[in-house]
Amino acid sequence: MIDVVASEWLKVRTVRSTYYLLLTAVLALAFGGVVSYLMTADYDQSPPELRAAFASADPSVFVMPFTQFAAGVIGALAITSEYTGGMIRTVLVTVPRRVTLLVAKIAVVGGSALALGGVVSFLSYGVGVVIIGDRPAPLAQFATFGDALPSVLANGLSIAVVALVGLGFGMLLRSTAGALTTLCFLMFVVPMVAVFLPAPWNNRLVSVTLLYLTPQFSGSIERAPLTPGWALAVLLAYPVVALVAGAVALVRRDA
Amino acid sequence: MIEVRELSKRYGAVRAVDGLSFTVEPGYVAGFLGPNGAGKSTTMRAVLGLDAPTSGEALVNGGRYADIRRPMCEVGALLDANAVHGGRSAVNHLRCLARSNGIGDKRVVEVLEQVGLAGAARRRVAAMSLGMKQRLGVAAALLGDPGVLLFDEPVNGLDPEGIRWIRDLMRGLAAEGRTVLVSSHLMSEMAVTADRVVVIGRGRLILETSMRELTERFRRDVLVRTPDPAGLRRALERGGAVVVPDEDALLVQGLEAADIADAAARSGIAVHELTPRSASLEDAYLELTEDSVEFRTEEVAR
Repeated sequence: MIDVVASEWLKVRTVRSTYYLLLTAVLALAFGGVVSYLMTADYDQSPPELRAAFASADPSVFVMPFTQFAAGVIGALAITSEYTGGMIRTVLVTVPRRVTLLVAKIAVVGGSALALGGVVSFLSYGVGVVIIGDRPAPLAQFATFGDALPSVLANGLSIAVVALVGLGFGMLLRSTAGALTTLCFLMFVVPMVAVFLPAPWNNRLVSVTLLYLTPQFSGSIERAPLTPGWALAVLLAYPVVALVAGAVALVRRDA
Repeated sequence: MIEVRELSKRYGAVRAVDGLSFTVEPGYVAGFLGPNGAGKSTTMRAVLGLDAPTSGEALVNGGRYADIRRPMCEVGALLDANAVHGGRSAVNHLRCLARSNGIGDKRVVEVLEQVGLAGAARRRVAAMSLGMKQRLGVAAALLGDPGVLLFDEPVNGLDPEGIRWIRDLMRGLAAEGRTVLVSSHLMSEMAVTADRVVVIGRGRLILETSMRELTERFRRDVLVRTPDPAGLRRALERGGAVVVPDEDALLVQGLEAADIADAAARSGIAVHELTPRSASLEDAYLELTEDSVEFRTEEVAR
């Protein structure tokens, strides 16, 4: 088992796509910083009555969805890059126990995405603190680091969640394009379409989409439809369902 | 040792392998022959646990492949040289595979040297020719120093030097007491590589025999030229031979060349030529698999 995990970890480190996707996270951080800076500059030049209508300038609002998707791509590629071109057969000949292979992939993808998510989430918060300074709410979402910590940790967790959803889709669909289209649809299209549903279904559907579960879990949305506990349960249900479906496909089908 | 017992594999309505049984023992190169689509690759995938058999079983060293703890150390396989991730370097590709079976980087360097890729170790796999990928696939198969080896069409894409190399390699591996199964659709290749052959067509066993017996079985007749064909024909037919006149010669079946010469001498008939003729192995193979060709070029009806 440890050997297979070591092999999977080496695989992740020896392809270029991993580094491109890490670069994406860095670019997202930079982009989030720029947006945060522009909002803050705009805030400084606005009269007090307009300032009260400002949204939060926390860069995480921009950084997290990009990083989540990048992590989802890493997760999907961990298996689809092996289906493309047939490497999966070579891999399954060296590791014929498919459940072992799956668990190793989950450990490597989940573990590295959790680490990545933690780092990016803290950096994003730090960039926000540096740019926003001591300006009050609504520009600053959190007054103290203590207030921000649940949100920062939840954001870090969400990266691992999406990475594992990507891995599950990849196993199920065996194609990079298929897995990423499905992931993109789930993350970005469903919340947009949901808005057009009649009330209360619009809010109900939006509340269970990936992007809105994290702030509900960390309690940073007022009057959230879901309690933090339910939000966490739904958030974790995503990778569990995707991975179980993927595992059944991996074990049952001929390679 | 590889044992295939009553193996069947259906894909929908297609019977890719149909009740196939054969055994490959250590110490010789076994050629696995059949036309395209005969079920060779499917059988190999079943042996390696990639495809689940519809019925029957395929065993390696008496057990199921999926139950082997470190399979690379017991079985090495080259199925498809292109089944690699193009983005990794040759050495990293092998390190990834080796590590999953607890094999160290030192062995990776050894096999790269053994297959002649030491100089290309850092090259990305996508930038390699098919011949180099075949060598890389052989390197992967050899990583665990396994006692059983399966090669699916290993000479594809190799240049003549590469073909000779892989032939010598396989014969060397068998001589070391390993079990070696090599598939091919080219009889000519197997004729110089294999000691025994398993011929299949449409998923069924056609013949399992030694190369020598196969050659023997398709020895056809003896061509005889003589100034007195009619006299010799009578003499030979008295000896139980079947004689067919062919232009200015006789084609004799049922008697060895020496017996024909003796019969001619007893009858006082001069013999100008005496040539035992065997069908080429290529002909033998085509004859064997004639009824089982999956995709043949149909003559276009006018």
